Amino acid sequence: MRISALLALLLAVPALHAGFFNSDDSSETKVKCVYSGTDGHCVEPILKSQNELIITVIGQGVAPSVTASPAQAYALAKRAAMVDGYRLIAERVKGVQVEGQDTIKNMMMQQSTTRTSVEALVRGANVMNTTFKEGLCEVEMEISLSYSRVLR
Amino acid sequence: MRSRNGNFSFLFTSLTLITTLCIGADNYYIGYRVTAKNTQAINETLWVSKAMQPCMSHQNGPLIVFKRTLNETLDSVLKREQTPFLEFASTGEFRVKSNDTFGSSHIQTLNSLTLPSRCYAVEFNDESVTITATK
Repeated sequence: MRISALLALLLAVPALHAGFFNSDDSSETKVKCVYSGTDGHCVEPILKSQNELIITVIGQGVAPSVTASPAQAYALAKRAAMVDGYRLIAERVKGVQVEGQDTIKNMMMQQSTTRTSVEALVRGANVMNTTFKEGLCEVEMEISLSYSRVLR
Repeated sequence: MRSRNGNFSFLFTSLTLITTLCIGADNYYIGYRVTAKNTQAINETLWVSKAMQPCMSHQNGPLIVFKRTLNETLDSVLKREQTPFLEFASTGEFRVKSNDTFGSSHIQTLNSLTLPSRCYAVEFNDESVTITATK
């Protein structure tokens, strides 16, 4: 009986020690990688004077169901994908304006609508790669941000 | 090493090209807009208008050359070569406007991409047309 009590005490002391004295370690701030650079390293999404920030997006566009030719379908899908790519770049760089509206009647939700909008002037975006498969066109676009280009 | 006569012809050709581009070319304003609804292009417009007054620019930017048949207008050349021209023009700036609506019953995305009207120096030759972006 005494031996078991001693064993329980020996096991409880390190557990209590870990619980009470190591609680400060968990409060350490952890840096989350928001944007991953092209080289695979975690890059802060902040434009600094000595660095260049490269943003890559993939815009998607769908070909209309009725087209005169496959070439027209590809061209229209690529246009739509480019528009989507530019929108994604604008969202990343400038941000999105979000507006929500809920309608409640007799304490019950009647309608819920969320609107997002972005408006920007994008200069110097490049189309890096284009793929077209099964009516879906994906355009990989890249924009390089630096102080010299922003202030130009 | 280039001879003196070779230097002269090279210099003459360069001066002629620069003079033609700066003085002999016509000025056109070209704008473009594409609208996509639910990731499908629904409207695409290309505006081409000859400038009433010469553009007050002294610097020329990048240029692109398209093939052209005799008496073919700039409108028809650009309609035929729209994709290469847009890739050329995209080195400039595009205005993007996006409005997305998410409701319980419907989702709609409406995006528009606009190439602001800009002055281009256009030089018509017998079998080609040279479009130069002015600054």
